[in-house]
Amino acid sequence: MNNNVYAFALKSTLDEIQSACPDVTNTFIFKDGKILAKGETTDENTADLTINAFDSIMERADLIGGLEAVTIQGANGRVSIACMNDFYLTTVLSKKADEKYVNTLIRVLIPTVIKLVEKIHPTSADDETLTVEPEPAEEEAAEEEVESAEADENEPAEEETATTETPEEEEAPEVDDEPLLPEPPVTQLIIENLGGLLVPSDTVRIDKAVITQWNDLYGDKKIEEVDLETLDGKTTRCKFKHIKNSKHKEKGIIQMPEKIQLTLEVTKGELVMVKPVVE
Amino acid sequence: MVKQKRSIHETAEPVIVDDVTSSEEDQVFTDLSKNLAEIRKTEGVVGYILRSTTAATIDLKEPEKIVEYAILSSQVLDSSREISELFELGDVESTLIEGKEINALCLVIGENKIGIFMEKNADHADILKKVSP
Repeated sequence: MNNNVYAFALKSTLDEIQSACPDVTNTFIFKDGKILAKGETTDENTADLTINAFDSIMERADLIGGLEAVTIQGANGRVSIACMNDFYLTTVLSKKADEKYVNTLIRVLIPTVIKLVEKIHPTSADDETLTVEPEPAEEEAAEEEVESAEADENEPAEEETATTETPEEEEAPEVDDEPLLPEPPVTQLIIENLGGLLVPSDTVRIDKAVITQWNDLYGDKKIEEVDLETLDGKTTRCKFKHIKNSKHKEKGIIQMPEKIQLTLEVTKGELVMVKPVVE
Repeated sequence: MVKQKRSIHETAEPVIVDDVTSSEEDQVFTDLSKNLAEIRKTEGVVGYILRSTTAATIDLKEPEKIVEYAILSSQVLDSSREISELFELGDVESTLIEGKEINALCLVIGENKIGIFMEKNADHADILKKVSP
């Protein structure tokens, strides 16, 4: 998951929490010793020093089975550092703060935001996302000879064009850093086999209606690739084209070459989540 | 007048390392020792460490881990003080650390540093009330 996406979502959430509860004087979130997001009132150096102090406890915490939370009650307020979905949320409350209200708000809001961001942006450069590299045309043609008889032989010209693209063109830039774009919709589709002599092994075929929906949503933005995710959480990124064969249209299917099926460890009939990669 | 006493048992009995003169401070230490001995009987409490500048009382379920528990509680108090200073929270009244298996309540009363270790289901708020009424 791209940390920038988290940072944007979490910073907004922290700011909202501080707006809603003025008695929350400082907030920040860190992971692996690095600040991921902080409220406007929180000084970065202070946050860094807090993380260092917290890490000192963490180093000794094997004894208690690992550290989940630290709550320090001071004469003028309270500091709480709590683990949430692998992130550590630090909140500083003044003595006047309604702790029950603040804790309820924080313990519901932050994990919800983290889960939402994870759902909406399941892949990025930081992930173990597998990108299917296109193969040279000759090698591909040899492979296709042994592929199933379910070949869609009506589209050879277009397929050939796809295989001659340069590698540079195929490396789509990451789009996770564009928070102002609408979140890419996730569509669940049933896998159908796709094979044939000239069918590229790095391209799936998706219903035209779904692609139109994406184009309507993003207007001028280029969508050249999709992220695929199985129910087991395996992901890959590949190119896509629309389904031409009318008998497969609007059936909620995705036609997938064998190579991508192997990458995702899925087979015909299984479900896969598809999300456009917006440039 | 200085009296020196040192007794270390390998059982779960309290270990007393005492090197004190009679004073008001010692009285606080003695009272805390008694108080903690009572708290130790509470369900879910697995042990405690009480340290003054000159003496210590330790009663732990796992006596072989005395040093580790002592270092942990000491580190908790040091880090708590640092964090409290950073956010200008004043004197640290108590610190609760929640582990995956055990929770620890650490606090300072006068010159005495206390670490109480308990199972996750133990009522730390109740224990805090008992130790610092």
